[in-house]
Amino acid sequence: MSEKGGKGFSLPTKTTPKSALKSTPASATARHDDNSARSKRGRKVQFGTEGLTDLGFNFSSLKSDGKFAIPVGKGDWAKGGKGEKVVNGGKAPVAKEAKSLELRVEQELPENVKCLMDCEAANILEGIQEQMVMLSQDSTIKLPESFHLGLQYAKTHSYYTNPQSVRRVLEALSKYGVSYSEICVIANTCPETVDEVFALVRSLEAKKSRLSEPLKDVLDELAKLKKST
Amino acid sequence: MFFHIVLERNMQLHPRHFGRNLRENLVSKLMKDVEGTCSGRHGFVVAITGIENVGKGLIRDGTGFVTFPVKYQCVVFRPFKGEILEAVVTMVNKMGFFAEAGPVQIFVSNHLIPDDMEFQSGDMPNYTTSDGSVKIQKDSEVRLKIIGTRVDATEIFCIGTIKDDFLGVINDPTTA
Repeated sequence: MSEKGGKGFSLPTKTTPKSALKSTPASATARHDDNSARSKRGRKVQFGTEGLTDLGFNFSSLKSDGKFAIPVGKGDWAKGGKGEKVVNGGKAPVAKEAKSLELRVEQELPENVKCLMDCEAANILEGIQEQMVMLSQDSTIKLPESFHLGLQYAKTHSYYTNPQSVRRVLEALSKYGVSYSEICVIANTCPETVDEVFALVRSLEAKKSRLSEPLKDVLDELAKLKKST
Repeated sequence: MFFHIVLERNMQLHPRHFGRNLRENLVSKLMKDVEGTCSGRHGFVVAITGIENVGKGLIRDGTGFVTFPVKYQCVVFRPFKGEILEAVVTMVNKMGFFAEAGPVQIFVSNHLIPDDMEFQSGDMPNYTTSDGSVKIQKDSEVRLKIIGTRVDATEIFCIGTIKDDFLGVINDPTTA
């Protein structure tokens, strides 16, 4: 009998022609051949990072006993807290779009990169601007346009008075598997409800059950730290 | 999103800059060359925060220029697919609207604007809901999600959407 792996996907095996799918034998085997052929090729299509529109899948290899291994949560290739993969070709387009909009910062940037919250960036850039005022006797050194735009953006979006305490509060989430970049997105968007967090950071939806309680506490703490404007 | 990152670059220095101020000259040349530029991998280099290491200079054959490998820390701004940003609207037309978040330009097509918002032309072109309660016009603040990025030689351009939960207008300039 075919087994259900992961979230209820079942594939007919070679040895057992009877499948859980209520389709005719001809179409069942045709579909099975297609699936096995696809997975045997072991095709790996990389997701474009430079704004390319190609979307791709990573297929796990189909094991001989017909069980399909669907990694849930963190796999060896997914560092950003990904959800489960979709195998069934029919459901692919919907899952494709959902996947493509998840934050994949850790995969796209080298290891030594540190995400900054807008309030932290505002502090750093203001410090540099003060230094530049002293150095501005040398008229050849001028701050570029993007610096002023970046500084203005960071200042208007820093809602917290003290970045260190915000960092400490959000660190509590990291033990639930929330990545650094997701923590920064939460800090930058300043959400008011837990639903807002899950709607904005889709990659956390897989851990919804575990995260709801701690997130509520964290959001209450953050609300206290907000600047009163 | 802002990032703090260590980058490396080979700086070429003309012999006229050698002397006591070699290091200062190298650093100011680095700042002139790098600050304000943008790359696909790292985004906009907004500011250099420090020099980590300057390697040994290598004299180039024939020209006398010396190449120094310099490791420096900098703050970069790079938009990501799936990221939520708050941007200020700069232009509205019937194809959609343009917005700016820091040094990054974002375009939101009218296909990615909720269906109940319609384009109204006029002196101040805008998108308005059928009951007139929500308006997107120049200088409105909008929360959007990045769905694609494109990198040019000097700038990064993004496509965004507001057709999702918790996205859309934050601040209406007419009521503020």
